Amino acid sequence: MAEISTIARPYAVAIFNLAKEEKALSKWLDMLSLMSRIVENEDINSFIHDSKVLDADREKLILNICGDKIDSGGKNLIKLLIEYKRLLILSEITLLFEELKDKDEGVIEAEIIMADQPDKKMVENLLQSLEKRFNKKIEGKVVIDKSIVGGTKIIVGDTVIDASVRGQLDNLAYTLKA
Amino acid sequence: MQLSTSEISELIKTRIKDFSTSSEARTQGTVVSVTDGIVRIHGLSNVMSGEMIEFPGNTFGLALNLERDSVGVVVLGDYEHITEGDVCKCTGKILEVPVGPELLGRVVDALGVPIDGKGPIKTKSTDKLEKVAPGVIDRQSVSQPVQTGLKSVDSMVPIGRGQRELIIGDRQTGKTAVAVDTIINQKGQDMKCVYVAIGQKASTIMNVVKKLEEHGAMEYTTVVSASASDSAALQFLAPYAGCTMGEYYRDRGEDALIVYDDLTKQAIAYRQISLLLRRPPGREAYPGDVFYIHSRLLERAARVNAKYVEKFTKGKVKDKTGSLTALPVIETAAGDVSAFVPTNVISITDGQIFLESDLFNAGIRPAINAGISVSRVGGAAQTKVIKKLGGGVRLALAQYRELAAFAQFASDLDEATRKQLDRGLMFTELMKQAQYAPLTVSNMAVTLLAANNGYLDDVPTEKVLSFESALHGFMSSKYKSVMDDIEKKLALDEDGEKKIIKAIEDFKATNTY
Repeated sequence: MAEISTIARPYAVAIFNLAKEEKALSKWLDMLSLMSRIVENEDINSFIHDSKVLDADREKLILNICGDKIDSGGKNLIKLLIEYKRLLILSEITLLFEELKDKDEGVIEAEIIMADQPDKKMVENLLQSLEKRFNKKIEGKVVIDKSIVGGTKIIVGDTVIDASVRGQLDNLAYTLKA
Repeated sequence: MQLSTSEISELIKTRIKDFSTSSEARTQGTVVSVTDGIVRIHGLSNVMSGEMIEFPGNTFGLALNLERDSVGVVVLGDYEHITEGDVCKCTGKILEVPVGPELLGRVVDALGVPIDGKGPIKTKSTDKLEKVAPGVIDRQSVSQPVQTGLKSVDSMVPIGRGQRELIIGDRQTGKTAVAVDTIINQKGQDMKCVYVAIGQKASTIMNVVKKLEEHGAMEYTTVVSASASDSAALQFLAPYAGCTMGEYYRDRGEDALIVYDDLTKQAIAYRQISLLLRRPPGREAYPGDVFYIHSRLLERAARVNAKYVEKFTKGKVKDKTGSLTALPVIETAAGDVSAFVPTNVISITDGQIFLESDLFNAGIRPAINAGISVSRVGGAAQTKVIKKLGGGVRLALAQYRELAAFAQFASDLDEATRKQLDRGLMFTELMKQAQYAPLTVSNMAVTLLAANNGYLDDVPTEKVLSFESALHGFMSSKYKSVMDDIEKKLALDEDGEKKIIKAIEDFKATNTY
């Protein structure tokens, strides 16, 4: 069985290339997130899953909800996904599309975990040094988590820079046990 | 609550003192699925093939499959506590095992953790599990013998230090017995041994260890055990772990012997891992690289030259060559040597000792088939005395086999043929040897000399072995200096030969066998 991201990737790449040609990256992102939120809705999800429902009805329902918030390209995508029975990977497509868009724009997201609310200057400094290290524009998001006790933990993509007291304590515990 | 051995305040103190508090940047991933010891992980973008992956609960895995969207990791040990969504980290390290003389006399698992209940092993160093074998420039040809102590092996299929000699045969043909006897005979031969048990019953391993202990062989032996109940990953890794432990001696100008018992089970464990990782199956459902897992393992058994040793030890050890001799064991099914794994390993090794169930059941033990057992490089390493005297055995047995098949149809045989048949029968009987009773070079030389010169021709077949042991007893009590001389020189000049022949004649005159 192929993984969902493997199936979703060609769709995401195709949409990204189209959006780039049309210079409408953020418009496509909006459309995609709207569509994936609709598909993720519990009621709609069970409707889509229902084997008694005809494809035409599925199409009609989603297109009606979206209304004029999506253009003809978006409508065609819905039709295509229904035809290929891939409506359920929409959220994965959206994620991959977002990744491609961020990469294209040279922006990466960073999650900064701290025990207490930091002051603005500190976050700015941190972001600056992160930008230097990753050579990209960083969009920072501060998360407060008391359990790390002190210090910071920064998650950029799947790279983790752990300078938290909790991480050090875990390491110490491991060293003592080994 | 129990206090563990690592909780001694002095130990804790040094550990806290040496503990570095630098922040670390590592890539992490999320567990997507867990199936039969194989974990699929999303993320880990910087993972390397063969890297160790850390899971929660102090569990480690080995990254084997690097795919576009996920990483296939085989867990080393228990995996029941790993669940979907768990976060795991790259360690940036390749799997390592402890090495060094501290491991001698111990039983460890595939990761070098002691399992004999004798407490922790304080090794000074660790080394990588997977290493590249020494290249052409670093090697030296095989020229020193490994004495197995078995008449049939040392005279017909001699093994040299640094050689790879396969022991192959069906189940219950005495494969392990040949290997264990060889280890036992290394006492006082300046040889360190590693016995790697793969996929065997824990009770069988226990018996081997007990036998080695009884014969004082554990002093210079390390047993690496990955029993049948250990995970397939550990069974797959155990030979590499043992090899790394053996290489420690090789690289330091010493001699070591390693027994892989058996590589069929390792191939089966690897097949399981590969199929679970969804790698395409090939012949007999083995993956495409099953040849490579054995060739890269056995290539590490080698004799390295003094230059290599000097370079490796940074000039500490000079003018000494090192060697790692490998005795891989392969179990065949119904004598089928043309199955996939046996043909692979036969082609990799420098010869094979072929054991047959028919011979075993006929009471010929060790059940070596002299016709198809060969040693491709051992001849150059054979001790001079055995080389000189052992040539006749192979020939006599070959002629015997040919005649025996022919003689079944003939009722009336001429004198010469009958004599040759009798001689073959005598040699077949003479090659029998009890387990755990290795012979010294001098004893072997005396036996062969007596047989070659026809002193055994008039001894009834069923009395050949008792004649032999009585002769050995006679020699060691009356002609000790001659025997010691052979042991020292490992050669026999004309004068010495004459002395022994006279001794044999003296012995025969006593008629005490």
